[in-house]
Amino acid sequence: MSKKAIDKPVLYERFPLWRRIEHIIMVLSFSTLGLTGLPQKFPDSGLGIAFVQGLGGIENLRTIHHVAAIVMMFGTAYHLLYMGYSVLVLRDRMSMLPSLQDAKDGLQALLYNIGFAKEYPKMGRYTFEEKMEYWAFVWGAAVMGATGFMMWNPITATKYLPGEFVPAAKAAHGGEAVLAVLAIIIWHMYGVHIRRFNKAMFTGMQTEEEMLHEHPLELEEIKSGRMRHKPDPKTLRKRQLIYFPIAAILAIAMLGGIYGFINTEETALKTIPPISVTATPENGAAP
Amino acid sequence: MSLRKKIPTPRLIPTFSVILGLVILVYALASFPTSAQAAPSFSAPRQEDKPNNDFCLACHQEEGLDKTLGKESLPVTINPTEFGNSVHSKEGLLCVDCHTDISDYPHPDVKVKNVRDFTLSFTETCKECHEDQYLKTHDSVHQKALDEGNKEAAVCMDCHNPHTQTRLTGQTSGELTPAARLHIPETCAKCHDDIYAFYKESVHGNALTEEGNTDVPTCIDCHGVHNIQSPTTVTFRNSTPFLCAKCHTDSSIMDKYGISTNVLDSYVADFHGTTVKLFEEQFPDQPTNKPVCTDCHGVHDISKPDNPDTGIALRENLLVKCQRCHPDATANFPDAWMSHYTPSPENFPIVYAVNLFYKFFIPAVLGGMIFYVLTDIYRRILNRIKGVKHS
Repeated sequence: MSKKAIDKPVLYERFPLWRRIEHIIMVLSFSTLGLTGLPQKFPDSGLGIAFVQGLGGIENLRTIHHVAAIVMMFGTAYHLLYMGYSVLVLRDRMSMLPSLQDAKDGLQALLYNIGFAKEYPKMGRYTFEEKMEYWAFVWGAAVMGATGFMMWNPITATKYLPGEFVPAAKAAHGGEAVLAVLAIIIWHMYGVHIRRFNKAMFTGMQTEEEMLHEHPLELEEIKSGRMRHKPDPKTLRKRQLIYFPIAAILAIAMLGGIYGFINTEETALKTIPPISVTATPENGAAP
Repeated sequence: MSLRKKIPTPRLIPTFSVILGLVILVYALASFPTSAQAAPSFSAPRQEDKPNNDFCLACHQEEGLDKTLGKESLPVTINPTEFGNSVHSKEGLLCVDCHTDISDYPHPDVKVKNVRDFTLSFTETCKECHEDQYLKTHDSVHQKALDEGNKEAAVCMDCHNPHTQTRLTGQTSGELTPAARLHIPETCAKCHDDIYAFYKESVHGNALTEEGNTDVPTCIDCHGVHNIQSPTTVTFRNSTPFLCAKCHTDSSIMDKYGISTNVLDSYVADFHGTTVKLFEEQFPDQPTNKPVCTDCHGVHDISKPDNPDTGIALRENLLVKCQRCHPDATANFPDAWMSHYTPSPENFPIVYAVNLFYKFFIPAVLGGMIFYVLTDIYRRILNRIKGVKHS
C-alpha cells in the first residue's frame, strides 16, 4: 500500500504559506532571544562573555534582545488575528485544543514504546506531541511576556506591584528561558528533525505515506470527505465584513500594547549624574 | 628673629673659617683611607669632610629661626629631638647629604624667591635614595597638576617632612606598619581637608580615627600611593566594584565584623552588576549608566547600611539613591534591588519561591521529555532490528 504512495506521491497541504511565514518569524525571534538572553543569565561563563563581546557588548546585546522580543510580539499578534480569522470566519475546527484523548494518546505511545501496548496511537491533525509543544510555547510566551514587561518597565511595574516582583520576574524569565531552549532542543529537535526530518513546515506539504504514519485520523477524515468545507463565497464575504473591523480594532489594540511595552517609561537616565568627589549631596551627609 | 641678626661680627668670620678649615682638613686626611670607600648604605662609614649634624644644629636648633626668600620667610629651625627620631637621622644621614649646596657658613645665596619654589627645588634630592617612589610620583595626578603649572600640587616633602618623617614600613617586612596607616588620612588632609571631613564621619574613617582600627581602608588603599591616579576617570569608576571587593570579599577581614563576603557575587548576579561586569571587561574606559558601589554607598561618606539617617538598608534612604538614575521611581521600587541578599524564605521569599519552582519544574519537564524520547528511540531501534515497520 505504501509502495504505491511512494510511486505516485499524493500531497496533502499541511501548512499554508502564512503559517510557514509565522513559523519562520518565531524561529528567528526565538533563536535570537535565546542566544542573546542566556549570556545575560550566565555572565560568568566564558562562552557567554565571548558571545556578548562578539555582538558588540552588553548594551548592543540587550538592544538585539529587545528587537527580537518586539518581533515575537508582532508574531504573537499576527497569530492571534489569524486564529480569529480561522475560527470565526473560516469556522475551522479548533484542532489544537487539548483533550483527554491527547493524554490517552501520550500514554499509549509511551506504553507502545516500552512494549506494553500493541499499537501506536492513531492521531488526527495535531498529535499529542505537537499540541504539547504548542501549548508549552503559549505558556512560555505568556510568562516571558509578563516577566519581560516587568524588567523592561520596572518603574511602571512597581507602581502597582511589590518591588520584589521585579527580581522575581528576572528569576522566572531566566528559568523559563532555560526550560524553553532545552525543551526546543530536546522535544522539537527530536520530534521533527532527528526522528524524521519533517519538512512540512517549510514545503507546506506532506505525502500520503507521512500522513498515514503521523496523522492517520486526519487522512481518514479527508478521504471520507468528512472534512469541514470552506464556507461558500457569499457566507465568507459576510463573515469577513464582520470580522475585519473587529480584527482592525484588535490589531490597533495589540499594536498599542506593543508600543506601550516599549515606551511606557524612561527607566533610567542615559548618563548618571556624577557623584561629587567630596560627598553625595543628596544623602544629607554634607555639612 | 632673623638669621641675619645671629651672624657673628664680620671680623670674626675669617678667623673662624680658617680654624674650621684646618680642623676639617686634618680630620679628612686622618680618615682618608676609609672615606675612599663611599658605600651606598646609610650606615656605612661616611665621608667625614662633611660637617656633621651637630655642627648644623648648633645654629639651626635655635627657635624661631627663619630665612627671607623674596617677600616670604622660610622657617629654618630644626627641632633636634624630632630630627633625632626621624628615619633619616636614625639611618645616619647628614644634613648636607640633602642640602648639598651647603658646606660652610655663610651659606650660599638661595636663588628662588619664595618658599614653595624652595621646596620644589628639592624633589630631585629625594630621588637619590628613593628612586622607585620618585619615579612612581611621575605617573601621579599630583605630578600632572604640577606639570600643568599648579605649584601647590603635592611633592615628596609635602607628605614626608624629611626632618621629622619616621619609619613607615616594617624594618624586615617592608610593609606599611599599622601605626603608619593610622596617620595616612591626616597627611592627605593637609590639602584635601574637605574630603577628610567626610571620611572621618564615614564608617571607614570613623573606625580609623576613633577606634584606631587599621583594618579599614585609608586614602591610599583606594587611591594608591605615589602613583595616585585620578579617581574621576571612567576607568576608575568602572573598576570600583573590584576595588571594593578586594577587602569586601576577604573573609579574613570581613568575618571579624560579621560582614557578608557575598557582596560582589550578589552584585554581579543582579542586573546592574551583570551589566557593569560584562561592560567593564570589554569597554573599561567607556561610561555606563549602571551604578557601581559608590553610586549607592557613597564615596568618602560611606555609612553603615543600618545607619538611621543615611543607611541605605532603610528603604526611604535607598529610594533617594534609586532616583538619581531612575527619577520616576516610587516607594516600591527599591525592593526591586535585592540588597545583596541571596533569596531565602526570610529575604525575598517570592524570588526564592520562583527559583525553587524552576529548580524542580525544569528537571521534571525535561526529564519527562528525555524519558519519552529515549523510549521512542528504543522502540525504533527495536522495530528496525525486528524488521517491523514503525506505525
